[in-house]
Amino acid sequence: MSAISTGRRRHPAPYLLLVPAVVILLAGMGYPLVFQIVTSLQEYGLAQQFGKPAPFVGLDNYAELAGNADLWWVVLRSLVFCIVTAFVTLAVGALLALLMAAVTTAARLILQVGLLLAWAMPVVAAMTVWIWLFDRRRGVVNYLLDMIPGVDMNRFDWLAQPSTFFLVASVIVIWMSVPFVAFSIYAGLTQVSDEVLEAAQLDGTNGWQRFWFIIAPMIRPVIAIVLLLQLIWDLRVFTQITMLKDAGSKSGEFDLLGTYIYKLGTSSQDFGMASAVSILVLAITIALSWFYIRSLLREDQA
Amino acid sequence: MSARLRRGLLSALAIVIALVWVFPVYWMANSSFIPNIQLQSFIPTFFPAPATISNYVGTLADGSFFSALGMSLAITLTVVFFCIIFAFLAAVAISRFRFRGRTSFVIAVLIVQMLPAEGLFIAQYKMVSAVGLLDSVIGVSVIYIAAVVPFTIWMLRGFVAGVPADLEEAAMVDGLSRFGAFMRITFPLLAPGLVASGVYAFLQAWNEFTVALVLLPSESAHTLPLWLRGFVQASATKETDWGQVMAASTLVAVPVIIFFLIVQGRLTSGLVSGAVKG
Amino acid sequence: MNRKFGVVAAATAALLVLGGCASTDTPAATDEFTGGKDITFWVMGGDTPEALRDYLKTEYADATGGTLTIEQQDWSDALSKLTTALPDAENTPDVVEIGNTWSPTFTTVGAFSDITDLHEELGGDKLLKSFVDVGTVDGANYAEPYYFGSRYIFYRKDVWAAAGLSVPTTLEEFNESVATLKTAGQSGFYIGGEDWRNGVSWIFANGGELATVDGTTWSSSLSDPKTIEGLEQLQAVYTDASLAPVTEADSTPWVNINNNASTGAPEAATIIAPGWAHWSIGDLTPDPADSTKTVATWNDDVFGVFVLPGVDGGAAPVFAGGSNIAISAASKNQSASRELLKIIFSEEYQTLLGQNGLGPANLDYASALGDDQFAKALSESAANSKLTPAAPGWAAVEGSGLLEEFFGKVNGGGDITALAKEYDAKIDELING
Repeated sequence: MSAISTGRRRHPAPYLLLVPAVVILLAGMGYPLVFQIVTSLQEYGLAQQFGKPAPFVGLDNYAELAGNADLWWVVLRSLVFCIVTAFVTLAVGALLALLMAAVTTAARLILQVGLLLAWAMPVVAAMTVWIWLFDRRRGVVNYLLDMIPGVDMNRFDWLAQPSTFFLVASVIVIWMSVPFVAFSIYAGLTQVSDEVLEAAQLDGTNGWQRFWFIIAPMIRPVIAIVLLLQLIWDLRVFTQITMLKDAGSKSGEFDLLGTYIYKLGTSSQDFGMASAVSILVLAITIALSWFYIRSLLREDQA
Repeated sequence: MSARLRRGLLSALAIVIALVWVFPVYWMANSSFIPNIQLQSFIPTFFPAPATISNYVGTLADGSFFSALGMSLAITLTVVFFCIIFAFLAAVAISRFRFRGRTSFVIAVLIVQMLPAEGLFIAQYKMVSAVGLLDSVIGVSVIYIAAVVPFTIWMLRGFVAGVPADLEEAAMVDGLSRFGAFMRITFPLLAPGLVASGVYAFLQAWNEFTVALVLLPSESAHTLPLWLRGFVQASATKETDWGQVMAASTLVAVPVIIFFLIVQGRLTSGLVSGAVKG
Repeated sequence: MNRKFGVVAAATAALLVLGGCASTDTPAATDEFTGGKDITFWVMGGDTPEALRDYLKTEYADATGGTLTIEQQDWSDALSKLTTALPDAENTPDVVEIGNTWSPTFTTVGAFSDITDLHEELGGDKLLKSFVDVGTVDGANYAEPYYFGSRYIFYRKDVWAAAGLSVPTTLEEFNESVATLKTAGQSGFYIGGEDWRNGVSWIFANGGELATVDGTTWSSSLSDPKTIEGLEQLQAVYTDASLAPVTEADSTPWVNINNNASTGAPEAATIIAPGWAHWSIGDLTPDPADSTKTVATWNDDVFGVFVLPGVDGGAAPVFAGGSNIAISAASKNQSASRELLKIIFSEEYQTLLGQNGLGPANLDYASALGDDQFAKALSESAANSKLTPAAPGWAAVEGSGLLEEFFGKVNGGGDITALAKEYDAKIDELING
């Protein structure tokens, strides 16, 4: 990697540096992870939670979920929702980051403060506002759309059918996530030194080439990490869907994986099954983030 | 198109986007100052005139806001502080050193993190209860740090890797120790990365409510999201008092906005370019 | 055991690392019991008024010298909190209020203490029987009734009179009346499509059931012809009379029967609601205490109540709302908890419940509800009310949202027979726990 690191191969420093992170991860995630794996192989319901021994059932939970059509619809829906939302978020965020770099200081500050305010909104507060904005009777969205001639949106119920429900959910998630993406990418952009760019400009490259050959490679790690983050978050988006469902329908057609697991475990008290689905979600997440894991591996071999 | 005109148009676009983005925030603040009577109308009120503070008076009446604020601040600051330190150390380890187990560590951390939180809370409850830390700042903080640390490691890893090691070497040639070179050269360049991870950790800890719900069962230990949710739900049994709900939401958002505006200066103060050029 | 120890050790190590900074802000834990007399009581939602809570605290302190802590849990979070806290001896609440329909589930898994020996002292046969039954396993009492409330009809006298309609005496007459009252901007009868708790009245009225038991095995009975008949009527009522969204469940329909601030007209001519909704129904005027809000003042000229009529007249069996109360089996303060139950089932507290519009568990004190039209409607509807099946898995059935889903699809115009078959199968998987 670099001259410094190769010269210090057997140094104990890296291990010491990792100790705090490893300890906190073991403390916070170790037992829950083990519990999750073990209960996914058990019949674990409310009775077991109250002390009855939990019989091991091998892979029965997994076999049952493999044959559960409802679950696979939820998986499919979650994947589509996650991929669309994550990529739109990334695209909008990247464009806004480039915009920040291209505008006057005053405009950049206004844009940044605007995004910061949105980003700073606590999720529960933001959801409350958004649900009100889309309220069928007193919502501003319907009020404004209704003013467009020829459009009748009075009392249109956005949360009544899955298509508009997930559109609203996606808009909200994108609105919440874009500031983080834009700032991360912008922070990456500021690391590209002006000298390099000036030198490239002197060499006669145009803006697009400079972006593609100089800026993009330098911000690639940031892009990879924010995309990964968005994919993982958007796959199991929970609070937003829960609150939208509270305002709309309780029906299973409006579930994504996060709410599905919660419904299965907490609400229906089938914790063994909920654990099995959690492990399935873990597997899907690993598959989704394979692009990132592979690049880590490749980087390591280089 | 001249560069200046292009810059002007883009700036105008940036301002329009900023206004669109900020609208829900504006709407929350706006509604929190509007009398409830007026909010029940089918015609939205776009400006708080006449304004009232009665929504805030009603919201703050029982003092529970301040206890929740204290709890949220304690947890969030604990999480941000330890998360940044732990993640920074780990990020340096994995991006400045090659060592046996490095890749396994990175991938293990990545995978542990991907487990959906909705199924974990029973195990988390059992664990935290077994060490007697329910209703405490520490119990929740340990879970939060563990949840947030992996991503902050990767974020910082990108930033640490992005700082050319040659800069450090150059400084070492100039007579600085390795540690000195790191602190004088690399660390300032990481400022935006540290700020970004801090902001990330802050938001996660400030917003979380599923774990908090289970690990902080007593009302006296509630954090702001629990307080706000309780507020929304308590009013749900009657006709929703949007004015008060919006006032409560605004109160929860204000501390974050203050924090962000402080950090905003750091993000854009030119620390980076200053360090590179100087 | 080994695994657990490892976890504890790791957690402790991490906490030692953190300890230096974080311990300063730790609030005092509330689970420090001194002398076994300080107990905690979880109430669900805001139904128990503040005055009643204060009464319990004072009485408990007088009786035992200990402190009673009352903590309110939100209904929607209650299941996850009960599931984690009840088995945990160190942190369990000592006494809990739980939704009546969840009682069979928690009772079956052994969450509650056997209080059969206390049953007579608490009221015995005078306690509301259907609520006692859901808290009974093999003849032993675990959960007792706390309060009940059932739903009845609120209607706009002015709107009904203008259409030349009078209070219906049969369910069919009711269905027809509300259908004729529907206009483009006004529901004849406002009921959400997923609102099964109210919609189930049409099933019960037609002699149908949600589930039946054979020995100890429960099975969902949505496909029963009587249930289907009720569902067909409900579907027709929803389609012909209601403008509520098909995705709306049990909500706050009374906002629709008051005059709307913008239009000066109601959005619903008729609603079904719990009795205490009458505090929110009436002519809206600015609140003298706070001019930014409105208060509703009941007006007998405009608003009225009646009990949902049955198929052959009388009162239709409606869903019996309410709560049960029990002592956590894991509690270390069993005898102190029993003291609290004695206070709750005392004449004085039962009377207080009634005076606050909550149906007292001990029917001897039902007269405390008063004798106004609301009390009469409550008593009359409660006398005919029905509970959900006392099946071990019923909390799971409710939690799964299957009933909302099913009712929503029926009211959305689905094929009732096919849907009933589909959801019978889904519910059967959960209903036996």
